[in-house]
Amino acid sequence: MSDEEHQFESKADAGASKTYPQQAGTIRKNGYIVIKNRPCKVVEVSTSKTGKHGHAKCHFVAIDIFNGKKLEDIVPSSHNCDVPHVNRVDYQLIDISEDGFITKSTVPANWLSNVSKLFFHLDCQIKDGFGEGKDLVVSVMAAMGEEQICALKDVGPK
Amino acid sequence: MMQQQPHGVAPDLAQLQSTMHAIELACSSIQMHTNSAAAEATLLSLNQSTRPYKLCQFILDNSQVANARFQAASAIRDAAMREWSSLTGDDKKGLIGFCLCYVMQRASSPEGYVQAKVSSVAAQLMKRGWLEFTVAEKETFLHQVNQAIIGIHGIDVQFSGINFLESLVSEFSPSTSSAMGLPREFHEQCRKSLELHYLKTFYCWAKDAAVSVSARISESGTKVPEVKVCTGSLRLMLQILNWEFQPNVTSAKAGINVFSPGVRSDLTASKRSDCNVAQPGAAWRDALISSGHVGWIVSFYAALREKFSTGRYWLDCPVAVSARKLIVQFCSLAGTVFLSGDEHMQQNHLLQLLSGIIHWIDPPDAIAQAIESGRSESEVLDGCRALLAIATVVNPILFDHLLKSIRPFGTLTLLSNLMSEVIKVQMTKRSDDETWSWEARDILLDTWTALLMPVDTSAGNTMLPLDGINAAANLFALIAESELKSASASALDEDDGDDYLQASISSMDERLISYALIGRAAVNVTIPLLTRLFSERVALLHQGRGIMDPTPTLEELYSLLLIIGHILADEPEGETPLIPNSIQSDFADTVETQNHPVVILSVSIIKFAEQSLNPEMRAAVFSPRLMEAVIWFLARWSCTYLLSEEIGESDLHLLQNSRKTLLSFFGEYNQGKSILDIIVRVSVTTLLSYPGEKNLQALTCFQLLHALVRRRHICSSLVLLDSWRALARAFTNEEALFLLNSVNQRSLAQTLVLSASGIKNSESANQYVRDLMGHATKYLIELSNKSDLKIISQRPDVILPLSCLLERLRGAARASEPRTQRALCEMGFSIMTPVLVLLEVYKNESTVIYMLLKCVVDWVDGQIAYLESRETAAVVEFSIRLLQLYSSHNIGKISISLSSNLISEANTEKYKDLRALLQLLSSFCSKDLVDFSLDSDESQSTNIAQVVYLGMHIVNPLISLELLKYPKLCHDVSSNNFIQKHIDVLASLKLISSFIWQYFALLSHMLEVYPETVGRLDSEAFLHVLGTLDFGLHHQDTEIVNMCLRSLKALAAYHYKETTSGNLGLGSHATPVKDPRGDMQDGVLSRFLRLLLQLLLFEDYSPDLVSPAADALFPLILCEQGLYQKLANELIERQVNPSFKSRLSSAFHMVTNANQLSCNLDRMNYQRFRKNVNAFLVEVRGFLRTV
Repeated sequence: MSDEEHQFESKADAGASKTYPQQAGTIRKNGYIVIKNRPCKVVEVSTSKTGKHGHAKCHFVAIDIFNGKKLEDIVPSSHNCDVPHVNRVDYQLIDISEDGFITKSTVPANWLSNVSKLFFHLDCQIKDGFGEGKDLVVSVMAAMGEEQICALKDVGPK
Repeated sequence: MMQQQPHGVAPDLAQLQSTMHAIELACSSIQMHTNSAAAEATLLSLNQSTRPYKLCQFILDNSQVANARFQAASAIRDAAMREWSSLTGDDKKGLIGFCLCYVMQRASSPEGYVQAKVSSVAAQLMKRGWLEFTVAEKETFLHQVNQAIIGIHGIDVQFSGINFLESLVSEFSPSTSSAMGLPREFHEQCRKSLELHYLKTFYCWAKDAAVSVSARISESGTKVPEVKVCTGSLRLMLQILNWEFQPNVTSAKAGINVFSPGVRSDLTASKRSDCNVAQPGAAWRDALISSGHVGWIVSFYAALREKFSTGRYWLDCPVAVSARKLIVQFCSLAGTVFLSGDEHMQQNHLLQLLSGIIHWIDPPDAIAQAIESGRSESEVLDGCRALLAIATVVNPILFDHLLKSIRPFGTLTLLSNLMSEVIKVQMTKRSDDETWSWEARDILLDTWTALLMPVDTSAGNTMLPLDGINAAANLFALIAESELKSASASALDEDDGDDYLQASISSMDERLISYALIGRAAVNVTIPLLTRLFSERVALLHQGRGIMDPTPTLEELYSLLLIIGHILADEPEGETPLIPNSIQSDFADTVETQNHPVVILSVSIIKFAEQSLNPEMRAAVFSPRLMEAVIWFLARWSCTYLLSEEIGESDLHLLQNSRKTLLSFFGEYNQGKSILDIIVRVSVTTLLSYPGEKNLQALTCFQLLHALVRRRHICSSLVLLDSWRALARAFTNEEALFLLNSVNQRSLAQTLVLSASGIKNSESANQYVRDLMGHATKYLIELSNKSDLKIISQRPDVILPLSCLLERLRGAARASEPRTQRALCEMGFSIMTPVLVLLEVYKNESTVIYMLLKCVVDWVDGQIAYLESRETAAVVEFSIRLLQLYSSHNIGKISISLSSNLISEANTEKYKDLRALLQLLSSFCSKDLVDFSLDSDESQSTNIAQVVYLGMHIVNPLISLELLKYPKLCHDVSSNNFIQKHIDVLASLKLISSFIWQYFALLSHMLEVYPETVGRLDSEAFLHVLGTLDFGLHHQDTEIVNMCLRSLKALAAYHYKETTSGNLGLGSHATPVKDPRGDMQDGVLSRFLRLLLQLLLFEDYSPDLVSPAADALFPLILCEQGLYQKLANELIERQVNPSFKSRLSSAFHMVTNANQLSCNLDRMNYQRFRKNVNAFLVEVRGFLRTV
């Protein structure tokens, strides 16, 4: 939540690639994977073979980390998959505007654009807590150019 | 509607009529599905009404609606069970008498289910009163039944009588009895009484009834009504023979004469197969053996079989099925029922049976053909079962001998021919449907297993007679042929199972064990055969390279490797297996090592495995699946044969010839080391050259390498091998090894560290471990010191190596052994700071957090016993910081996601984390129990109890009571596959229950071992502990309730002992306090006394909990005697019925005064108190719960 964090953030964003290749066999349950160009969290991995004496392949069932949709993929386990760079940063919540937009502590400009629209389903929880005068920290998860609040933490009364 | 009818006053007819109509209406509306809620309520109120007997009897006598009669019968049962202790003796007998008369008088009623229900109600009431009725009273009822069974009232009544006895016997048999809310002891006494005094009489009644109608059946046919009686009697006889007789009822320990030749001296084999051995004891000899009764049943069946030989249906009709089942059960008769000095008695008995059974199974080919063309298979299956039963009770020699007096060949030959026939049928029809041949094959395999399974290794192997060996050899050849055929046929099947490895190896395993027993019975023939089959397949692969599809041959090799592995060696799980007996002794005349069949076979397989090192061969031949079989074989084989420790050069001459040959050939001074080298190089190949083949790598890591390093002298050879050093080097720098999945990673690290035990010099062993793990600690330290850690930490290319190294550290930590303890200890201390840094950085990355926690848990668990006090203090400080850090990150945190699935995953992770933290605290507890540290300076030592309580205090706020309940698990979208979904749910449940278990285990350990520390807790922490205890007492898991009861016992006992010797005990926690509103709150002990009494008297619980509850209750009562008296008086005053009142007050008096109970908390008193509580509950729980 300090300033230096955000400086680093913008610097890193410039050069960091959004995904990394990783062997399918090493991706495990609860890890991340890109399926159909969406960043996902793996909820199920199973292995099978192409024919009895063939090579192993991995069958992934994964959930899109932003929209919650289920996606599946089958990849030979020695091949590479894309793994998204999922970044999480904590912010102190400063204000919530009437139309659901929020203001975080010193936020880099490029963060504001998308964050707000993802709140429609959770603004109750946040607004209520905020309205009660709680001091809230929101964790924002970002991957492949999208971002969303992924956790909320009550750090005591304001 | 169902008003309480005052006892003794007859309700008037009109009222009975109208109630009956209401019940009838309810029954029919349930059937029509109209207004069923109201109807159910009506029936429920009938069941729950007080003394509904008059009404129910009225309905049974008068209603035209069968369902209404059924409901009335069940209402009688429920009400009588509930009100039993308040009924008079005449009431009770009246009810039983009514039910018995009812079934007899209406024996011909077409609604059989009502009759059966009333009959079973009579049986249950009879059992409920069994211990209070006098012998004469019982005789009266049974006389009535006997009259019926003799048949003087006609066929239907006869059948009803038998039917009643069936219900009665099943009520008294522990496995089929119905619950009555009484302690086990009651059921046990009933069982004993029936077994001793009545069971044989019932059997004879049934036998006489069957005999009396048999003539008529043989004359006229299966349509006559007598058949029903006959079937019923046979069924009852079978049921009685299936009774679990207690061996010591009649003749104390004399039991089975172990010296009598031919007869199996132990019957443990029966536990392995489904065969239920009947051992009724000497008292039954006259009824079962001497009476010629067996001859009757065999010839009765034979006569009927002859008569109906044209009707195909007959084999499956009930009387035939019951007769056959009874005959099969007779085959399994054993024990003192036979005269112990007279071995011919059992032989004659079995021969008599076998001469009847032989027609069901011989000649096998003709019978198999008849079945294939449509005949029923049930007879031949029963024949197989009879063979199994005989094999279970006699030894192989006698088994074989039995048939020789009526056939030119022995029983083993018949068994072999029969099974060959069955396998041929299987080979001709390759279908996945389970046909008769599958079932027959399984029964016959069990028969072989029963015959050949070595009962006791010291007795040497089971010897078969010579023609038995030939029979086994022939059969084995056919089995091998059939397995190979089915392997090559299935080779090209698409394999879609997820757990295909398990499916192929484990499910086949049992079958393979039986095959191996058959193969081992004739090793002289079967091992050369297998060698030939194996080399033929290998040659075929070489010839066909590039020309033809090798897949069918690969699959054949796969099967062969599994079969050979099972024959050559036993399962290595658990202990080091010896060379199988038959392989040790049956090759006695082979002298030349090179030509020993087992050497030839083993070497040819090892040479074959070695070819996988050649990349070209690997690509062409060694598919991952074949490699799995190779690795599996090497693992199993090497446990038995490789570098055996038991012999030095000197004492080789003491061993049996064959064993000596084998062990020295594969020993240290001959081929042992070079074979070990091949095995290591093959393993390295599977790890490096089969990327992503997790199953194969798991086999290599867990089965093969792990088994090797478990034996110390193999380790000393291993560490000298270049190939092993190459593996260790690859481990630190070869990228391919970083790609192993997490469990394999962990296992490999553990294996490599464990191999250090082979290094003689302790300093070099520690240095070896440092070199091995240095790369991991270095990476962690460097990573945690990076200035841009916050940015790069989330990158997948950082998380991947980090996870891999954490798994390695965890694996190494698990390999903790005294010799390398120093190096591992340093390893742990060097990563403490990095771990805390990473815990902060990855606080949102749950998978990394979990790995960090587990790594610490395993390290502490492995090291805690060795740590000096200064080190202990440092570890404690570190752990507490870790707990605080974890807690500060997670308390009050809510995960948010659009996907309910991800939310539930997040919850699961929370459970896993908390479980790990509890494990950490638990391993601290062990420091007080096991401590190897050298320093004796008590002053510096850490107070473990305080540390654990402090830890629990930090963790507790994270564990809400909500978490301790089983949450509603939602897995709505994750799985498309129904089964997978259930596996997921089960896995989560398992995780949660293991978490809950861990929590209560820790809690109860703390309360039991350190009750004094509880007294010093602040009130908030204390209340949390008690809140969870309170919660745990109502948990559905008996084990957890048990732990809570033990904790309570410990707390109360501590308090009592302290206060009686003038100390404070739990101090202020135990005294009443004012709550914020000014009301008086009970002290904790009072609260739990109330709770426990409430639980014991009014709630449902498992009978197993009575004793631990009594143990907790006793000190509680001693602590709070005043309150206990007050509660008892309240309960007594609450009773309206004066007789209950006096019973309750005397019962309360007995609890604390019977059996010379005194106020000491010693073992004796606890036992007495348990007895008192048991008696108390039997006496009063029944009416307390209902009134």
